[in-house]
Amino acid sequence: MALLEAIGIGKTYPGGVVANDGVNLVIQPGEVHAVVGENGAGKSTLMKILFGLEQPNAGTLLLDGKPVQFAGPREAIDAGIGMVFQHFSLVPSFAVYENVVMGSEPKAGIRLDRKKAIAEVQALSDKFRLKVDPLPAVRSLPVGQQQRVEILKSLYRNARILILDEPTAVLAPQEVQELFVAIRSLVAQGKTVIFIAHKLPEVLEISDTITVMRQGKTVGQVKTKEVTEKSLAAMMVGREVSLRVERKPTDQTQRVASVAGLRVVNARGTEVVAGLDLAVHSGEIVGLVGVEGNGQAETLEAIAGLRAIADGHIQIANENAAGLSVLDRRGLGLASIPEDRIAEGLATGASVAENLVATKLNDSRYVRHGLLDLKAIKANAVKLIERFSIRVGGPSYAVSTLSGGNMQKVVVARELAEQPNLLLVNQPTRGVDLGATQFIWRTITDARDAGAAVLLSSADLSELLALSDRLVVLYRGKIVAAFVNSPDLTPETLGTYMLGLSTQTTAEMQVALK
Amino acid sequence: MSNNPTIDRSSRWKAIRSETGRAVGALLIALAVAFVVVLLTSKAPFEALNVLLTQIPQKPRTIGLWLDDAAKLTITGLAFSLVFQARQFSMGVQGQVYVGAIAAAYVALSPIGATWAGIPAGMIAAMLAGAVWGFIPGIAKAKLGANEIVSSLMLNYIAIELCNYLVRAQLPKPQAGVLTTNDFPDTAVLPQLIKFDGLNITRLDYGFVFALVAVAIVWFALYRTSWGLKLRLVGHNPRFAEYSGIKATFIMVSAMTAAGALGGLLGSMFVQGQGWGKLTVLFEGNLAFEGILVAIVARSRPLAVPIVALFYGYLRQGAQLMNIRTDVPAEVIGVVTAIIILLVSSSYSVTFMKRLFRRGAAPATAAVPAGSAAK
Amino acid sequence: MMELFITVFSAAFFVTIIRTTTPLLLATMGGLVADLSGALNVALEGMMLVGCLTAVLVSVYAPWYVAVVSGMGAGALLGLLMAFFAYRMKADIILVGFAINILAAGGTVFALSIATGGDKGTSINLPSKAVPAIDLSFLSGVPGVGPTLTAFLSGHSVLSWIAAFVVFAVWYFLYRTPWGLWLRGVGEYPAAPEAAGIPVNKVRTWSLVVSGALAGMGGAQLAMFNYVGFTRDMTAGRGFIALGAVLLGARHPVGALLAALLFGAFEALAVVMPGLFSDAPAELIRSIPFVVTIVALVLFSIRAQRALALRGAK
Repeated sequence: MALLEAIGIGKTYPGGVVANDGVNLVIQPGEVHAVVGENGAGKSTLMKILFGLEQPNAGTLLLDGKPVQFAGPREAIDAGIGMVFQHFSLVPSFAVYENVVMGSEPKAGIRLDRKKAIAEVQALSDKFRLKVDPLPAVRSLPVGQQQRVEILKSLYRNARILILDEPTAVLAPQEVQELFVAIRSLVAQGKTVIFIAHKLPEVLEISDTITVMRQGKTVGQVKTKEVTEKSLAAMMVGREVSLRVERKPTDQTQRVASVAGLRVVNARGTEVVAGLDLAVHSGEIVGLVGVEGNGQAETLEAIAGLRAIADGHIQIANENAAGLSVLDRRGLGLASIPEDRIAEGLATGASVAENLVATKLNDSRYVRHGLLDLKAIKANAVKLIERFSIRVGGPSYAVSTLSGGNMQKVVVARELAEQPNLLLVNQPTRGVDLGATQFIWRTITDARDAGAAVLLSSADLSELLALSDRLVVLYRGKIVAAFVNSPDLTPETLGTYMLGLSTQTTAEMQVALK
Repeated sequence: MSNNPTIDRSSRWKAIRSETGRAVGALLIALAVAFVVVLLTSKAPFEALNVLLTQIPQKPRTIGLWLDDAAKLTITGLAFSLVFQARQFSMGVQGQVYVGAIAAAYVALSPIGATWAGIPAGMIAAMLAGAVWGFIPGIAKAKLGANEIVSSLMLNYIAIELCNYLVRAQLPKPQAGVLTTNDFPDTAVLPQLIKFDGLNITRLDYGFVFALVAVAIVWFALYRTSWGLKLRLVGHNPRFAEYSGIKATFIMVSAMTAAGALGGLLGSMFVQGQGWGKLTVLFEGNLAFEGILVAIVARSRPLAVPIVALFYGYLRQGAQLMNIRTDVPAEVIGVVTAIIILLVSSSYSVTFMKRLFRRGAAPATAAVPAGSAAK
Repeated sequence: MMELFITVFSAAFFVTIIRTTTPLLLATMGGLVADLSGALNVALEGMMLVGCLTAVLVSVYAPWYVAVVSGMGAGALLGLLMAFFAYRMKADIILVGFAINILAAGGTVFALSIATGGDKGTSINLPSKAVPAIDLSFLSGVPGVGPTLTAFLSGHSVLSWIAAFVVFAVWYFLYRTPWGLWLRGVGEYPAAPEAAGIPVNKVRTWSLVVSGALAGMGGAQLAMFNYVGFTRDMTAGRGFIALGAVLLGARHPVGALLAALLFGAFEALAVVMPGLFSDAPAELIRSIPFVVTIVALVLFSIRAQRALALRGAK
């Protein structure tokens, strides 16, 4: 009998997004079960439902053959399900054992029985080969060990099923191997592990069964032994119809920007860009292909001047960008459409006109002697609202009154109001309706046609294939493949490289890297 | 699609109407609570209420007190508005008032004070002193991440003690033992604003004019200069401001410094005004903190500040009058002030209240409000 | 100068320090508990003031210990009010704190006036009681050090001894009980205890209530031992000095105790100095705690920045 079964799970979020549609999952006891799929496939939603963080709109969950419903994580935990998120919930200054037992502490009267807590944590750590010293403060531990503390939290509460959400995303290669040792030991001692992942080599190494999800549905369940890498990639990435936006022939000889040996380290100390060499030329769109979290966003931020680099050389318009502020780089003709328009690209409380001019406050057309030329600002807004078909009550309306697509149009309008030399674009049509999507695609292509160099990062393969002249695949912060876009280039091919299944030879890459 | 002025204006009017409704609702609740208190403790509660609400406009003298109070509330309201618009929580207006007053006193009691330059020099000195007092927590926050709430609060008390000391021991005083300086020469004191035959309003001085000028200047700065736009953008979304190349730290420091200058100006308005004309200890009576109420009810909008200040000043002076003529102490206004701040600064609204009391338990969030997280 | 030395190192001065420190220490412990739960309690001043008045008024009709408990109760009620508006109604906790201070400042004078029949300055006409001092003069019997022991230990207020116990109790609670762990977790990283099923808002509310109760007790001491009776605004910034002591004490009970003692010493000095030197600037001495707090704030911020830089740089 299956340990945990999800039958026909459906979940639609308010706002209309269908995250899960008739999803089926069958977990056998004692197995390592991987759930794979691209971003937006619905994996996280399914896991949240299993853990009680979300309630399904349709379908049933069966635990040990009996139907269950979890109104919250507490109930899931009591039923023996534990979840380790990508973002840990650990109190940085507390010791390992304090974090593990917090909320279910062993007590001696009113006193917290520290000796007992330490002993119990040590015992769990030994039993499941999750080597971690119970005493030090969690913030002094490397990420791999912090993750073990998270796992110990679930084990301390007698979890039978452990859900690991992209556990290897934050780990260095050696740490990944240590994690696998721990997983095998967990399974050997009767636990069941559900493993959400993107990186196919790891999935193939550690799992017994794989369930593939795509666009909110389950595509299939396979035994790892029986599947090939190619077929797996095909199941994940799918046969999407590739639209291609018409592009004009352009002179692509002039190099506008380049990075050499770029290394970026994130706040946790992990290397997210590991030695990147890339150049982009006027009149071309270079698509950065890759699963989110492989360095694309950080590369764009580094070029824009929003992120410090650990090593490497950035050149913009023949100038060394080191030491140039964001405004300086904009002065060189750089424009950037950020990943999260609400968090980074707009001040939703301010008016549309104000947002449209926010990056140009040292431009004498709008600001002279420190005074705002309100007439010019308003005229600019009116002009851009018309040119970009932004649906809004008027230039003085707050941005918060706009729909997602129109908010993105404001960002696009601001960045493309004047022809940029270098355009950095990250997820341009995420959460944007179809009409606005087409419009934004056209606008980006027009900028390219007029000579802009464009670096485009997107989680949407069809978008990349539609717009790019060249495509570069990033995996773990390095370029593993490069292609010149052609009708023969399929999502499956890209998928193989995106998921880490193969790497091109330097010779093959040189064809497309200029 | 594009420019439709009527639609523009109607949405703004809607916002103003709902904000005013909220504020009026809070005021009514606060007055109701105060009235219950008065009912329980006074022998003539209705008379007290009558005096509180209706007696101010009856005499020129009380009108003068009211408008003078409103002018001072306007300045402190503007100071807090500037700081709140930049999403900072510097609470140092009180300290800025005291150091401003000290600076103005030094100028007024110096040879300059006896000349025509007495008033302007005093005011400028006061504004400079206040600006410095506002700059200190600002730069500490910008360069070191030091909590501006704590530093500005500490500076308040340091300023008060400094004033106490200078008045007691350093500045010229009429007789030993009194805690006040000499009267300032007439040239260093703001003249009465309205003094004609038939209409002699004593307490109202040119400070009132300066308050209106300050409103205009602050409004202009916030909505017509690039500095003001940058400040508001930083307040709306600091990440976006950084992305746009706006130097958030410079903006924050300059906002706190400018607010400090306003605080200093208020100090000079106090001691160089008709109300005092000299420097004494504790002259300010915690008025600076009432600027918090004015700022949050006015939603930190400079044009709304004087209106709120007028209404609130009316209540304050009404309470004073009530204190004199009936048996209800003026301090009951503290209850009103506190309740208004509590209600207006929360997510209170009629619909929210209904939902709150129907459901019985609002969801616990892990989000800790801004002030306490600013460490 | 010599006179100053003799005064400062005398037993009488020690007793003065204990007296001045006690209200401050209680408020500091209240501030510490709130701070560790993630709330900067700027309303300590108002809570203390309300504790002062409540204790005085109740003591007219009831024994001193009932008065002290009511002072604590009044402070606790303000803490509950604060928690309601900050956590349920989602108002910013700083604004709520200042509203409470305004409420306390006005409300206490109002109540005073009603109770005294018109006197808004002091409660001097009310027969309020005092907290008794504990007489340990039997210690003089101890051979050798007896008289010294008596001089140093006898005559302190009951609440001073309780305050010492409170420091121990707060330490024990924070570092030896599970609920102290919860509180510190909530203050440092609320997502973690929330994920563990701990009721975060309940913890925060309780800590504000306790904070108010302790500040209220400090107020009772202030108005029933340091002074007997209520004077308007008698807390004179002690609530804010307490915040400074929390900071200077590195947010740990023992550190906060030492910081409170230090600030209490300065207050005692400000009392003693004008007696010795007629033109000594007592005001400047009284402002030393505030200056020290700012210096401590700056130093701690620099240290935090440096630690962050070390961790970020690779």
